[in-house]
Amino acid sequence: MTKPSNISHKVSRRAILKSGAAATTLAMLPLWAGRAEAACGTLRAGITGYNVINTLDPAQTTLIPESYVVWGVFNCLLKFDESMNIVPDLAESYESVSPTILRFKLREGVKFHDGVEMTSADVKFTLDRLRDDATASPHQSKFAPISEIRTPDAYTVEIETAEPFAPMLSYLTNTRTGSQIVPMHLLKDGTPDDFATNPVGTGPFKLTEYQPGASLTLAKHTEYFEDGLPMVDIVEIPLIAEESAGVTALLGGSIDLTSTAPFADIPDLENDDRVQVLKAPGTNTRFISVNNAVAPFDDVHFRRAVSMAFDRQAMVDVVLFGEGRTANGVVPNSISWAATQDAPAETMMNPEEALKELALSKYGAGTEATVLTWGSGWWKRFAEVFVLQVNQVLGVNFTVEVSDSGTVYQRKQAGDFQASIWGWLGLIDPDEYAYEIYHTNGSRNYEKYSNPQVDALLEEARRILDLGPRGELYRQAEALAIKDCPVLPCFESNVHNLLAPKVQGFVQRPYSGFGAQLAEVKDC
Amino acid sequence: MPSGLKYFLTRLGGALITMLVGTVVVFFVMKAAPGDPALVVLGDFATPETIARFNAERGLDAPLLVQYFDWLGGILRFDFGQSLSVSSGADIGELLAFRLPNTIFIGLYAMSIAVVLALILGTLAAVNRGNFIDTGATSLAVLGVSMPDFWFGYMLILGLSIGLGLFPSYGFIPASESIVGALHSGFLPALAIAAPMAAVFTRTLRTSLIENLDREHVTVAKSLGHSGRFRFVHHVFRNSVIPFIVVIGLQIRYLLGGVVIIERIFGVNGVGSLMVEAAFARDYFVVQACAVMFLAIVLGVNYVVDLICAALDPRRAR
Repeated sequence: MTKPSNISHKVSRRAILKSGAAATTLAMLPLWAGRAEAACGTLRAGITGYNVINTLDPAQTTLIPESYVVWGVFNCLLKFDESMNIVPDLAESYESVSPTILRFKLREGVKFHDGVEMTSADVKFTLDRLRDDATASPHQSKFAPISEIRTPDAYTVEIETAEPFAPMLSYLTNTRTGSQIVPMHLLKDGTPDDFATNPVGTGPFKLTEYQPGASLTLAKHTEYFEDGLPMVDIVEIPLIAEESAGVTALLGGSIDLTSTAPFADIPDLENDDRVQVLKAPGTNTRFISVNNAVAPFDDVHFRRAVSMAFDRQAMVDVVLFGEGRTANGVVPNSISWAATQDAPAETMMNPEEALKELALSKYGAGTEATVLTWGSGWWKRFAEVFVLQVNQVLGVNFTVEVSDSGTVYQRKQAGDFQASIWGWLGLIDPDEYAYEIYHTNGSRNYEKYSNPQVDALLEEARRILDLGPRGELYRQAEALAIKDCPVLPCFESNVHNLLAPKVQGFVQRPYSGFGAQLAEVKDC
Repeated sequence: MPSGLKYFLTRLGGALITMLVGTVVVFFVMKAAPGDPALVVLGDFATPETIARFNAERGLDAPLLVQYFDWLGGILRFDFGQSLSVSSGADIGELLAFRLPNTIFIGLYAMSIAVVLALILGTLAAVNRGNFIDTGATSLAVLGVSMPDFWFGYMLILGLSIGLGLFPSYGFIPASESIVGALHSGFLPALAIAAPMAAVFTRTLRTSLIENLDREHVTVAKSLGHSGRFRFVHHVFRNSVIPFIVVIGLQIRYLLGGVVIIERIFGVNGVGSLMVEAAFARDYFVVQACAVMFLAIVLGVNYVVDLICAALDPRRAR
């Protein structure tokens, strides 16, 4: 066991020191050939593929790696288990009092990292803060349906929405929605400047160090409410920008665990006894986004022709190295109660039908269009594989334009595009996919699609709390929408974690969860 | 004014003007790059309103010239401003204070390795001119120059770290925590940066040693009965050192170029990796601060090299 230490930036320091101690001088090195190892008690969990963290204030988080840390430092009222069931977290139970009122019973005796007890006042404060214009939270609109929050006593919270609003329950779980409970006593007079880099929550870990762009260190929250957790005392989190460097670091014994892994390496790593590969279907969707308002994608026949002119399984094989599955719609298959189960005809490669649809459209062979993409990795390949197939089948003349992701995003928001690759990751409720992409007023509807029948079904799905009938409404909405091909669903990728052979107890979450489940890691 | 002093002052003036031109280039090149720090920070949640607010809060909506002079004024007061998108709001001075010592350590480490290798190989090659030792040393030098440093870095990781487990594959222990740890964990990145420099140094040293071995005064010294070792150290080596030092000065820019790539591969938290991260995140202020710092280092080193060479050979300062 190692003592918590307050020395900064010591990514894999123990590992190297332990190994380096055997070799006090470089000259002696050849005498020593031990593999670097972490003392148990310290878990070195690398965030790979990302290294920018701007804020750890849940109300302000926008980036995936920010969520990774926030999930370990805070709790929500509820959380998802590995099968994506909603289970208690800070709330030990909840009930639907009426279609518009959710009542939560809080655990008693939960302590923030500074020792102050968490009560219903903190829950009300957290949600009110998200809804407040002054907070300017990117998550504000998610909580706009709330009309009132009541706290009958210190351990009861009632959340009332103006209309029945089924997604609210998902929004209150530990995902990328900013609803992690923050301490009222520290923030009630305005958020101090340092809360973003010095957060205080109820989570299993508290932040002890942060070196921007380099590393974070977490220490066990000794008064955490779950008995026996966390099992590790210290979590060192190097921020490793390159996924491939994460693999190298793991194979070389510099870290114990990674947050992601490059698709291309998975087949090899699965046969490598120096590493455990965990994989599961991910909660994400990747599609070709087409601008329904401009030529040539303003013609439904042309969109259908394109949609049936490429093989999605070929994309999975070439782009993801087989690490994923074809998509039947925009709702990911891992949200099984709402996802379309059988591939619609419009999402299957069918050159004959595609050419028939092309003949019906006002555009023909030789039609030109630009497909936006970014980077040099699989996102670029995604666009190339799409364009290659469609040009071959339809005789059109699509080209790939490579830019950077920020620029592509800006152009999409401005409607300044014909087609682009696109995708959403780590959103949990089908509403966040189906409503936001297909609905006329959907906040992610960059395709400018509008269909009153689809809108009506999606609005109805927001009002039904029972998952069975609610999921059926999403399937009906998708079945209608997909006939118009407003977007061209392509594939869903697996989520991966790489672990050193000794690491035990890490349980994957399909929404790319990382952080919270580090509390359950036993051996490292 | 003595000619020596005049020489130094004109050199200094030139360096300062270069510095100023450098700041203009760095600033406007960054602005011309596509992308936007607001989009990096706001991610999936960027809307025209949130982007506008982000830019207004950070003064990014002011006219370019105003932004430039604001920034330059800050630099002159050693106030580099605050990070935009690598670590929003963090003080860049603090980021650099944490990272610069690591970069300097790796840089000096690499330089030491390169110089030691070059002294051994260059001398061996020169005194064994034409035989197989010379051929071997020269071939090594050609190899060193031809290998891309990032490829060599990965090969080192593959062989010495993952293969043999002699060195860590990722991460660097700052010298402030443990000198042994820093020497151990910094060895592979330093070696990867050193290889191409060592090659250039070796060839320079070999050429100038051979040139001096054939000089008349060496022949005279031989006829006077001076021993071979005495002749080599006093008449050959001393005269060969000047071009060697000049080349070291010139290599500084390649050293910094190497640092940028290699730090990222090996997970060294230095200024080089910070600069790459900031460029990806369109963090103008951080990239500009790193670039200005690198420029100052290059100019400073070249200035010092000039001083040393002038001291060794006063004719140069006239």
